[in-house]
Amino acid sequence: MSNNAIPRDFVKNVLQNGVGRYVCQLKRITFRFCKSHGGSRHMRDFIENNLLEFTQKNPGVVCYLQPRRHRPPSVVAEFLNGRREVMLLSGKEVPEICKWVEHMRTRSGVQIVNMIQNNHTETPSTQGIWHPFMFRDSEMAATEFPSKKFSQIQVTGKTATDLVLEEQLKVSSSESSDSHIEGK
Amino acid sequence: MAASLVRTCVLTTRRTLQFLRPISFALQESHDSKRSYHRRQKGFLREMYKKRIDIGPDKPRRRSEWINWNYDCEIFSFGQRLGENFDEGSLRQAFVHRSYVEQEKEKRAELGIDLESVPLELDDNSDLANSGDKLMKDYLKVYLRNIYPYMFEECISSVCDHLMMDETLSHIASHLGCEDLILCQDFPVQPSVLSVTFKAVVGALEQAQGKERAEAFVRDFVLPQLIGKDLNEMWPLHNPMGLLVALLSLTGRGQPEPRLLWKSGSNTMMSLYWVGIYSNKQLISKAPGETVLIAEEMAAREAVKKVMRTEDNRPPLVLGTVAERLELDRDRVNASAEDIVRRHYEQSSGQSDSITSS
Repeated sequence: MSNNAIPRDFVKNVLQNGVGRYVCQLKRITFRFCKSHGGSRHMRDFIENNLLEFTQKNPGVVCYLQPRRHRPPSVVAEFLNGRREVMLLSGKEVPEICKWVEHMRTRSGVQIVNMIQNNHTETPSTQGIWHPFMFRDSEMAATEFPSKKFSQIQVTGKTATDLVLEEQLKVSSSESSDSHIEGK
Repeated sequence: MAASLVRTCVLTTRRTLQFLRPISFALQESHDSKRSYHRRQKGFLREMYKKRIDIGPDKPRRRSEWINWNYDCEIFSFGQRLGENFDEGSLRQAFVHRSYVEQEKEKRAELGIDLESVPLELDDNSDLANSGDKLMKDYLKVYLRNIYPYMFEECISSVCDHLMMDETLSHIASHLGCEDLILCQDFPVQPSVLSVTFKAVVGALEQAQGKERAEAFVRDFVLPQLIGKDLNEMWPLHNPMGLLVALLSLTGRGQPEPRLLWKSGSNTMMSLYWVGIYSNKQLISKAPGETVLIAEEMAAREAVKKVMRTEDNRPPLVLGTVAERLELDRDRVNASAEDIVRRHYEQSSGQSDSITSS
């Protein structure tokens, strides 16, 4: 598949969730299963043993049970941003069903796609973006070019030559002091 | 060679078949993941596809029309989800729009039921919405005045209006799950109905839990909408230089002097001018523009921005748990730009009068 056919997106937050207070984004979850077929055995076990605990812990999520004759088990999650996701759970055992339900509960509801970046900020630069005039002296606007002042090499700090010369001075001065001691 | 030929043939047929798949089938989630269709199905599927194109897409339907829907549970969960203890009666009332009540009355009239002998015990949310609207406007202004003490009163009003717009409130309401719960005539639900409902929910919260809790609700859900937005753009300031002149003269500083700082490509389509504004030989602000006039106006806007302390590098809004400890001065009123300009002109006219009389 070509690269531009794969959906890619930036990290998104729904309604600035968590800035004010956190709201669980899963609003509704429907468990669909068959009451008699063997394929829904684990889903029935889950409903019998684990569902009550889930509903007690998450009163903000509405749970529905939807029995359908001789149809494979699945779970439908509806999120606050209006998206609806169906997950097929045939052949999944109870711990795995628990994990998928937990996965739906902790999601933001945004479609899972390849991330362009793993981080996001609303203020990419507090200083303002760079532009070619950012560090330019405004005096240049009124100067005739070529000018002597702006043609000089900008020197910031010590150059390598300066450092070598300094080292040489240090060595020569220490040598002279040594010879002085020896002479004593 | 032969193998690759066969593979391409199979792939192309599969693709065409996918295209021919009827939309009505595609809308239903298929439980058996099929890799291909049998040759005998081709004609049937093509027919279904044509039919679907003739009929057009399905009408949008209310969520409550599906079998897995329980209004009581949904109402209970709405409050729990937001971490608030609503009074159930008032919350139910908050979701009843006026159009729904009218529709119900019409239905009864059509059926020949007398409204006086069997009263329709259904109140709409307009009272709750009015009280919610008042609370929201008051709190947003108090909060903004305290967070931005140097911001002009006009700018605060426009930021508040931006937050109270139908567009903003309907966005919040639909992302809090109000859309499915609203009882109204039109479907899909209109943004105006959604915003009225959100205001009514705030009103219902005020009734159930008091003003403070309702204000915290507004702070947590409405104010975060300002994140990443330019507050200065919300205020339509028509003459920034006039305001700047008034401000500088009232504070006893020199008149603003615009100076061209840099320019580039002046005779091209991509011309660029940077204008700086000086007062008492101090650079106050600088901004770019396509022409000198635009750049000057933008620089004046930049200066007003600096006066209001709403630059791009301003500290973020105080929200979340930290905001609970905020002590807001409710009687605070910020300076008004109109007032400043008027004072400036009164002063200057007074001076000119004295000059002419002398």
